[in-house]
Amino acid sequence: MIFSTLEHILTHISFSIVSIVITIHLITFLVDEIVKLYDSSEKGIIVTFFCITGLLVTRWISSGHFPLSDLYESLIFLSWSFSLIHIIPYLKKNVLILSKITGPSAIFTQGFATSGILTEIHQSGILVPALQSEWLIMHVSMMILGYAALLCGSLLSVALLVITFRKDRKLFYKSNGFVNESFFLGENVLENTSFFSAKNYYRSQLIQQLDYWSYRVISLGFTFLTIGILSGAVWANEAWGSYWNWDPKETWAFITWIVFAIYLHTRTNRNLRGANSAIVAAIGFLIIWICYFGVNLLGIGLHSYGSFPSTFN
Amino acid sequence: METLKISSRMSYVQSQILPLNLKPYPLIHNSRILGVYSNNKARTFSFNLTCKLNTVKGGKPIKENSGSVPGNDGAPPIVEMEEGSRGNDGKKVEKLKNSGVGFGLLKKFPRKVLGILSNLPLAIAEMFAVAALMALGTFIDQGEAPDYYFQKFPEDHPPLGFFTWRWVLTLGFDHMFSSPVFLGTLALLGASLMACTYTTQIPLVKVARRWSFLQSAEIIRKQEYADTLPRASVKDLGVILMGAGYEVFSKGPALYAFKGLAGRFAPIGVHLSLLLVMCGGTLSAVGSFRGAVTVPQGLSFVAGDVLAPFGFLSTPSDAFSTEIRVNRFTMDYYDSGEVAQYHTDLSLFDLNGKEVMRKTISVNDPLRYGGITIYQTDWSISALQVLKDGEGPFNLAMAPLQMNGGDKKLFGTFLPVGDDNSPNVKGISMLARDLQSIILYDKEGKFAGVRRPNSKLPIEIDGTKIVIEDAIGSSGLDLKTDPGVPIVYAGFGALMLTTCISYLSHTQLWALQDGTSVVVGGKTNRAKGEFPGTINRLLDQVPELVESSSPKET
Repeated sequence: MIFSTLEHILTHISFSIVSIVITIHLITFLVDEIVKLYDSSEKGIIVTFFCITGLLVTRWISSGHFPLSDLYESLIFLSWSFSLIHIIPYLKKNVLILSKITGPSAIFTQGFATSGILTEIHQSGILVPALQSEWLIMHVSMMILGYAALLCGSLLSVALLVITFRKDRKLFYKSNGFVNESFFLGENVLENTSFFSAKNYYRSQLIQQLDYWSYRVISLGFTFLTIGILSGAVWANEAWGSYWNWDPKETWAFITWIVFAIYLHTRTNRNLRGANSAIVAAIGFLIIWICYFGVNLLGIGLHSYGSFPSTFN
Repeated sequence: METLKISSRMSYVQSQILPLNLKPYPLIHNSRILGVYSNNKARTFSFNLTCKLNTVKGGKPIKENSGSVPGNDGAPPIVEMEEGSRGNDGKKVEKLKNSGVGFGLLKKFPRKVLGILSNLPLAIAEMFAVAALMALGTFIDQGEAPDYYFQKFPEDHPPLGFFTWRWVLTLGFDHMFSSPVFLGTLALLGASLMACTYTTQIPLVKVARRWSFLQSAEIIRKQEYADTLPRASVKDLGVILMGAGYEVFSKGPALYAFKGLAGRFAPIGVHLSLLLVMCGGTLSAVGSFRGAVTVPQGLSFVAGDVLAPFGFLSTPSDAFSTEIRVNRFTMDYYDSGEVAQYHTDLSLFDLNGKEVMRKTISVNDPLRYGGITIYQTDWSISALQVLKDGEGPFNLAMAPLQMNGGDKKLFGTFLPVGDDNSPNVKGISMLARDLQSIILYDKEGKFAGVRRPNSKLPIEIDGTKIVIEDAIGSSGLDLKTDPGVPIVYAGFGALMLTTCISYLSHTQLWALQDGTSVVVGGKTNRAKGEFPGTINRLLDQVPELVESSSPKET
């Protein structure tokens, strides 16, 4: 009873903080960048992080098993991972780009998890026999951490693509403008070009930063994903009788792994770096969602724990 | 004869990789499938040969190649070479080819194959192909009868406009993960993996291991990161770098330091461990036994009777004569009544009838003996022990009942009451979802009551007193032997380790005493973003020398 009350309180606190943080983000984005307000939103995410940690610990104690047995818990864990990835660079006082991605991601997953859509599965369920293993902690936490890092990294790549694409279009648009304007003001054009080149410089700096950080975060996520998949394989050899079953979830995790392996390989080649590798990462972004949600929504295979007892009950 | 061999191979592959419900019927389109398959096989095989050839004889040209480096101009070309081999595979291959001209055409051919295979765009295309095939394999329902595909992919209006059942069945996409197309692509990827490791990565090690001093301040300034420290000593820098975990070498005014060399070698380890996993997987596919059995409590079976070979390399071991007895099958329940865990108490006896092992297995806790692993995978209820009017106990066999669409199991049995010879026998029906409780219905099919086994509580239905003594469960066991597991696990371990190490960044620093100032340059292969910051922080620690003292005295 105490646990469920505590859980309720923590859920509500984290959700309300998250909504406040969203509002602050919107204000700073739409109205004006107020330093104090922005800083408070950062602090808000730290508080959220502790709330979610508390939530997970409460669930762990009350249910007696590691709280990663269903979609709701894994979503909470995902938003916990996002806020963790958000906090580390914040404490180190660098990488502002990364926090632009992780913050909202944490907000959205937390919002989605606590929103009404998944209400029925909020109560912590029981653990089916196949999940009762120490491997649960390692496999699932590594997978979700991997997903979180890969999602962040691929979102950075998507941002890179958007900026690259917009730059091209805007330049084209502006050069059209030149032709019209140059009829009237010759001098103005010169001014404009210097302004643009400065802007271009910042753009290319930003693109470089995005490229670099998406690479670093994806490599980190790839490491987690590798460990997650392999520990899952070892676990499957204990529980299901074979280390690889070509189960849909397994297959999609492998596809995710391959896509990000392709990303890492495109990075080794100079000609393929930049936009090309970013496109691969953007594909990876979609594939993670298919792997994480799609397979569970279809409820097929051994990993669909909503309907798992079909093979064992 | 060859066709025969290959088709037998195919069927083992099918049944191995998708063991659940595959029926090998591929001989309808065999000519085509086998054609593709044998082609791929031949390619892989020839590649294996070339790889070996090169490791034996290819040592010379590489040595020549590396030998020419010092002759050129001391240190700088090493840097260039490294860049070249990292950035552009083509160049490297060409270099190798040039040095091997003397070996003649015969030896040039495998090298050419090697060059093509290690081509990065090709490897990327292969990875995309594997990913796409796997995705397709999850979209097409696997392992159904041909009729299913005739309906799902009809010829008159196929999905996507062209994807008819002919595509599915000819390419073997109804059993994707054992289809020749998929395995061929995977084998090709493996070949590329080997070729890339051999032609690109291993030469890279040779380059990276040779550390060198840069004697010209100009070259140092051209590095990705470069800085000049006025009034500093290169020795102080060396001490500080050592403190920060660098390996430092110095010779006169020049200094070279590096850190995280493992990070540069780890990708090779990743490739090699992937190959190890592939080898283990192949061994699993050709050399394992599998079998499943449902054994009522109290009965026993011989392991060898259940285990069926899956590949041509499957050879039975001594442990196959072991007799396995199910002593007891039990289920644990949560308070809510749902099943928490299944337990089977197993005893193993050798040929002499001596008990060699006893263990209670459960899901996630299999039994391992002599290479055989026994898993708890399924269960059912085999019989009810019932006392009828104090007589008995009678064993009533339970039959599984078909549930429409539900996940839950249901078992039922029937106890005839009254005249057994009358045409429409009436009796008491008993249903059970698990071993906890039995639901009883009377002659008319009306609910009569619920009893727990072992409760000894009698129930009176239509004048008959019934006591349910016990519900006897039977345990569903999966048995397997898999010689590939140790290799695969070794590959897994190596893969985890090397992937983690791959995250490390290999940093190289050069410094040169240039009068009173020190020129520092450096580069790193991964953590390029943090690199300038880290190095700046290190360089800030280098003490500034007082003007009067000359740097050489310190």
